[in-house]
Order: sequence, then C-alpha cells, then structure tokens
Amino acid sequence: MSLDNLLSNWSQYRKGHEEGGFHDYEHRWGMAIDLDICTGCNACSTACYAENNLAVVGPERFEKGQAMHWLRVERYWDQSELDHPEQGASFLPMMCQQCNAATCEPVCPVAATYHTPDGLNAQIYNRCIGSRYCSNNCPFRVRYFNFYSYYESSWPEPLNMQLNPDITVRDKGVMEKCTYCVQRIRSAKNKAKMEDRKLEDGEFTTACAQACPTNAIVFGDWQDENSQVAKLWKKHEVTRAVTKQNKDNPEKRGYRIFEELNIDPSVMYLERVREKV
Amino acid sequence: MSKHCVMGLFSDFDEAFAAISDIRKTKIPGVSVDDVTLKSPIEHPEIEEVLGERPVHLQKFTLFGAIFGVTFGFFFLAAAQASFLVQPQGGKPVVALPSNFVLMYEMLIFFAVWGTFLAFLFLSGLLRKRHSLYSENVSLDQVGILIDVDDSNLERVKDLFKQHKAVEIREEEIR
Amino acid sequence: MYNEKDINEQIAWAKINADVLRSMENPRKSYWVAIVICILMIACAVFAEYIQYTVGMGPSNLNNPHMWDMYIATFVFWIGMSHSGTLLSAILHLIHADWRKPIYRFAEAMTTFSLMTAGIFPIIHLGRVWNMYWVLPYVSDRGLWPNFRSPLVWDAFAISTYLSASMLFLFIGMIPDLAICRDNARGWRKKLYTVLSLGWSGNDRQWRNFRKIYLLMACFLIPLAVSVHSIVSADFAMSIMPGWHVTTFPPYFVAGALYSGCAAIITLFVLLRYFFRFEEYMTLPIMEKTAKLTFAIAMVWTYLNLIEFSSVWYGHDIYNKELLIDKATGAYAWVFWTMLFCGSVVPFALAFQKLRRHMPTMFVVSLLLNVGMFFERWMIVAPTLSMSHSPHQWDVMWGSIVEWAIVFGSLGWFGLLFLIFVKVFPSVSMYEVKEMVFHRQRHLVNEDAATKFHRRSDDKTTTGEPGLEGA
Repeated sequence: MSLDNLLSNWSQYRKGHEEGGFHDYEHRWGMAIDLDICTGCNACSTACYAENNLAVVGPERFEKGQAMHWLRVERYWDQSELDHPEQGASFLPMMCQQCNAATCEPVCPVAATYHTPDGLNAQIYNRCIGSRYCSNNCPFRVRYFNFYSYYESSWPEPLNMQLNPDITVRDKGVMEKCTYCVQRIRSAKNKAKMEDRKLEDGEFTTACAQACPTNAIVFGDWQDENSQVAKLWKKHEVTRAVTKQNKDNPEKRGYRIFEELNIDPSVMYLERVREKV
Repeated sequence: MSKHCVMGLFSDFDEAFAAISDIRKTKIPGVSVDDVTLKSPIEHPEIEEVLGERPVHLQKFTLFGAIFGVTFGFFFLAAAQASFLVQPQGGKPVVALPSNFVLMYEMLIFFAVWGTFLAFLFLSGLLRKRHSLYSENVSLDQVGILIDVDDSNLERVKDLFKQHKAVEIREEEIR
Repeated sequence: MYNEKDINEQIAWAKINADVLRSMENPRKSYWVAIVICILMIACAVFAEYIQYTVGMGPSNLNNPHMWDMYIATFVFWIGMSHSGTLLSAILHLIHADWRKPIYRFAEAMTTFSLMTAGIFPIIHLGRVWNMYWVLPYVSDRGLWPNFRSPLVWDAFAISTYLSASMLFLFIGMIPDLAICRDNARGWRKKLYTVLSLGWSGNDRQWRNFRKIYLLMACFLIPLAVSVHSIVSADFAMSIMPGWHVTTFPPYFVAGALYSGCAAIITLFVLLRYFFRFEEYMTLPIMEKTAKLTFAIAMVWTYLNLIEFSSVWYGHDIYNKELLIDKATGAYAWVFWTMLFCGSVVPFALAFQKLRRHMPTMFVVSLLLNVGMFFERWMIVAPTLSMSHSPHQWDVMWGSIVEWAIVFGSLGWFGLLFLIFVKVFPSVSMYEVKEMVFHRQRHLVNEDAATKFHRRSDDKTTTGEPGLEGA
C-alpha cells in the first residue's frame, strides 16, 4: 500500500518549496512591522506573555539568558553610520519569522517542528525531545527552551488563575516559540467554518498586534489580496521566495531580515525613517 | 568397516606441510587430501598450495547483505516518508533523496557487515562442539593434521606422520 | 642510528602466550586504585546527571544562544578518538603493514569504548532523555517516524552501524585469542572464554573464512569510519550558521579524529608497555612508526586549519569573518591559541627521534595533543553559538560545574571500560604476533639463503647485513 502511494505520488513528493511544495496553502499568515512608528514600549512582549502562558523566569535566569520571551524588543544603539546617532536606540520587535523555508525544521530529529498548511512553522511540544538543534540553526535565535520546569515557580497562587486556558503550559525539556497566536487562528477558523463563511481580514489578530499602541504590527493572511498585510507587502514591493528585494525607490521601506540566507521569512519590516541633515 | 580418526601434531611446520603434500602425492587408497583438516595456531595462506583450493563462499553473503541493505534502505526510508506527510519541512520535498542516500549508505554497510558475520559463524563451522581430538597445543605452537581413514590405512598414515617427526599422534574410533 | 627490528623473531611462541596471559591475571594494587578512581569519576557524572534529569537542562548554564556546549563538543571528541583504532587497524591490515599486529588490539578496544562513551553524550544532552528512542525508526501505531533529513538521525544510524561494525571487528579478531585463553584458563574465565571463543579449534576451514571476513570487514570499516565522522561533521556543516556551514568540515573532522585517536594510541601504548611490561611487543620501532604517522596527520590537520582560516578571510563573508576575528581575539581566544599550540606546535616534538623514543615525553606530548583536540571541538561548538547572525543574541557562556562534572565523568567511564578490558581480554593479539614472528623468520631465512647464494656466485663481494627492516 505504501509502495503504491509512493509510486503514484512520486512527483508530488519530490517538489521543493520552489515549485510550490507538497501541498497548497490554505492561508499564509504574515506580518508587517513598521519600525518607524514602533516606540519600543514592550506592550507587545507583555501581551505575548499574557496570551501564551510564557513563564516569568526571574532576574537570575534572565541574566543567564534563560528567559522565555517569545517576542523580544531588541535595542540597538550603535548606529554611527547614521547622521544622527544620538537620537537614541532603535527598536526591533523580534519574534519567530515563520520562515517558509525554515532552517529549524529539517534539522529536528523527530519532526517535532514542521510546516502547517497555514504556512506556519509549528512546534509540537509533545513530540519534542529537546535536542535543541532547531534553535542552533535559527539565525534569529527566536526559539526558547524550557531549561527548568518553569511552571513550578512562575505563577504562584493565585497567579495561576490568569493562565490562558486555550493553550498549554510547557514542562522542562521542550522547545517553544512564537506561534502567531495559533489558538486565536484556530478558534477564528472554527468560528468561520461553523458560520459557513470565509475568514475575514481583521476578524482577529495576534496578541502583540492587538496590544500595539501605535499599530506598528499588522497581522493577516498574506494570501488574501485584500488583507491589510498583503497590501502593505505590495505597497513596499516586498516579494516572497527571493533572497534580495530588487527596488531602487527609497520610499519603499520594506525588507525582510536575513532573507539573503534563503529562508523566506514571513515578516516584513519597514525601515525607520531618519531625517537627513 | 570401521573407521578411525587420526591426528598428528607437529612442531615443525615445514614437516607438517610436507606430510600433507605426501598424502597428496602417495595416494594411499581411500585417503585423499580433501579429507585432511589442518589445525594451526596461526593463519597460513601458503598452505593452500599443498592443501588444494578450498572455496570460500563468504563474500557472496556480503554482497547479498549489501544489496539488501541499500534497496531495503531506499524503500524503507521513502515509504516511511511517504506515509508521514507531516514531514514537508523547510521547503524540502517529502522524499528528500540527498539525505536518504546518506542513510542508504549506512544501511548498506550495516547489513553487509552483519550478513558477513552471521555467514561467517555458519560457514566456518563455529558454534558447534569442538572435535574430540582437539589438542591445546594447537592454540600454542603446534600444527595438527586431522584425517579420517579406514582401518586398513591407519598404520600407513601413522607411519607417514612418524616419518615427518610428529610430536604426538592421537586416534579415535568413529562410530 | 637505531637499527632494531620491530620485533624479535626468535621469541618463543610459548613465551608470547605466557606474557599476554600473565597480563590478564593478578591485578596489582594500583589497578584496583585506578578502578576506584574511575568509579568515583563516574559517580560525579551520575550525580550531575541526576540533578540535570530532575531539574532540567538549566543547571548546566546552557542558555538561549548556547543551546549546545560541552556535551556536543565532548561527543565529537570521543567520536574522534574512536576513529584511529579501527580505521588504522583496517588500513594497515589492507596494506600488509604487519607492525600493526602487536598494537591493534588495544587500539580497537579504545575505538569501541570511546564510541560507547560518545554515544552517551547525545542522550545526556537531550532535554527529555526519557524519549530518546523517538530518534530510532521503529514502526509505531501512530505512524510517527523520525525526520530522516536531520543530521542527528544520521548520527543515530551512523553510530549504531559503526559501533556494531567495530565491535564485530574487534571480536572477530579476538576469536583465536579467546580460544587460547579458553585452553589456559580455569574457573569462571574458562566458562566465559568457552562461550566467547564460539568453539574455535583453529582448523583450516575456520582460518580460510577468518581471513576472508577479516579482509571484508577491513574493507567496509574504512569507508564507514570516514562516513561516520563526515556525518558527525554534518551536524554542523548542514546548518547555516557561520563557522559551521563549512565545506571542508568533513575532511577536517576526519583528520582531527585520526589525530586525536593516534595521540590516544600513543598514550595507551606507553601505559600498557609500562604496566604490563610489554617491551618485547610494543617496541620502540613500532612507537616510532606510530609517532611518525601522528606527526603526518598533525600536519594534515594544521593544513586544513589554515585552509579554513584563509578561505574565511578571503571569502569576505561578514558573519564568518567577524567570527574568525572573535575566535582569535575574543573571550575564547585562550582556548583558540591553546588549541593551535597543542595541535600544531607540540607535534613537532614527534619529529625528533630522540623524543620519539623517550616514553615519558611521548606520554606528555600525546596528552597535550588530545588537550588540543578537545579544545578544537570546543572551538567548533562555542564561538559560533556565541556570535551567530543576530547581534542581539551575542553572548559568551562558560559551562557550569554540572556540565564539567559530566565531561569529567566520561573519562572515568572510558577508563573503567578499558581497565576491565585489559584484565578480561588479551590486549596484545597473541596469534598475530606469532604470525608476525613466523613470517619475519621466514623472510630472514630466505634472505639468508639469498645472501649465501649471492656469495657463492660472486666470491669477491662482501655482502652487508641482511635487511632487517620488515614490511
């Protein structure tokens, strides 16, 4: 039977992402983050902690680099090449980029991380054995490992009451990372299905996008042409499946981080605008 | 007619080899060099000249193991991948040939090696009771020549052994 | 200058048996002390692993960029060590270099035991050790398979193949010797060797098949050993990280593996020669040959290092270049320079004949070489993690006592296995030393005959000594 399956679907099984891959995508969730209006307030990160039951690890473990912030706001000061370096830090909200050709996926020995038909890079906690190879092969270093059983000390009574019942609390020894609030995606999809209609743009959004006071983070279905995120990608002439965005208009500020590594990230960043002298 | 099994032990290897080539030449009726078993503490590639070509079939099992390993490897891996469709990852195809080649190579060697070993146990007659005429000197520094003969030839063979300065001669009746 | 033979051809065969069998009996007090030390070392590691098992990976100081550290470095180190024994034994067997015969047995045992040590580390480093069997391709009800694309799964395949093949190679080569032990032992040893020698009686059928299987195994082990360490290098080379994604990694790893393995052979050579008084078998000329080989491999390793540095330097890849500069000047600089000193400068001691023949020097030198090779593995794993693509995640991390205790304990584990081996199994191959002696004697006789013939045919020539150098 399996041999039959193998032979009849051989050409399908041999397709890489350049030829569209094994299956068609139902959705392709993507993001656009405008760094120009990001104030670095960390509301997104906080919202992420609340939504996704992220463990609070305490100052010592944070210092050791064992924190669990799926979404971190990176700060860069050293911008001496700019005209006004004294303008302070520039901020970069960094979460899993849900790469289309994710480097973390093929290295997992047990296939605990894989690509969903939604274009998400999913992590199966139950399957993870904690070899941590995925994190080593992630150029963004946005995968977080449960070095301890954080749940034991992270939410002392009655704080455990604030945990989100839609998702799990992870135990020691598994890898976790930003899921694009997959629980929200799933419930919105289910709701649309129950009501027998298509999922609409803006019907739901991720916790970080919801919390962002300046609306710097835009989330949506990249495949849906009318979605806000698809329009933004289009406006800034950012295309997928390339290693370099070819454009000469400086007004088009969009770029994807480390796209030269051919990993095809799903997050477009809009460059910060600095006035010239 | 009853038969005897004779074993001559020699400490001079050249004499032992000469004894075998005498058996080969003198043609004692009913005694052929094919009945001779040589027991030795070390390996003697040069003895094949006197003992005659005796075929070794071990390499066929190696070949079989290798071919089995590589074909089984391919189908096993591809079938596993084709029935585990959560695997499309990192933009790679479901059946990823480059990585499968690596594993097929390992499986080739794995099965070839084990096939050879199991065939070795079988073909070289290990895992059996040792011959009752075993001498511990064979594992030290003496060569033994073991031969099954009819009683009529027993004395002639023993004489031959004595001629070639056999240190010790043991015999046993075969029932 | 020194014109000795690899081995004295006149040595009596009974003496060979007696000497080797004696080495397996009546352990001295120092042996038991060594055993106790090894067990204590293992106890340290077990205690550390107990903490890690119950608490999580946190106590080892691993953190976000440094997801791998000493466990993987040590894994690569032990795998590397396992390469020399079997690989050298097989290559030297194929090219009929008979000086391998007195030293190959303990070298192969070293291979097997360091592989058994190495195999522990990928398991220890897992976050959920209890699920380690998920890496194996077994048929499950739920239709789950491992991910065959992952180099870690290749590791599992390669190591199990290599472990079984090298164990079989060691065992097959030992069968005739086990028969000797069986014929000379009493009590529980007699029972053990009777089972293990599989009824070997030394008849021509057994020897014919034996010769064939030994040859076949040697033929398979050479490509296997090369592929195993290439696959281990693929753990790094298949990633996209700067300093890991390097084309020369497979040969670099194989050379490094041979290097540390040869150094370990020298260490054990000196120890066995001293403690078991094997001066007649593990002779100085054999040591010299091993040392020369080690020197040659050291130079190959140095060359591959230079290639890597220069290709990074002239490649102008920003991530790789930054990383290289950081290796030489950053927080890990002392490790980097110690590695280069121990790996590329110290081996020049092997170029001097005086030093090659001085056992204490060789002992120290070989240990230093292995320190250098351990640091090399550390230099492969840590700096890349500390300085990968994303500058926000740059971090320097030093392992905690828990991590080092496990690394330290692995030495004890290897030591314990080896100590048990030398007292239970013959660490010098008796039958092959006999073969070596036998064939060299034959060779001498033939040479003598040739010399005499020569003299007779031409009276005026005074021939020199018959050539004493063996194969």
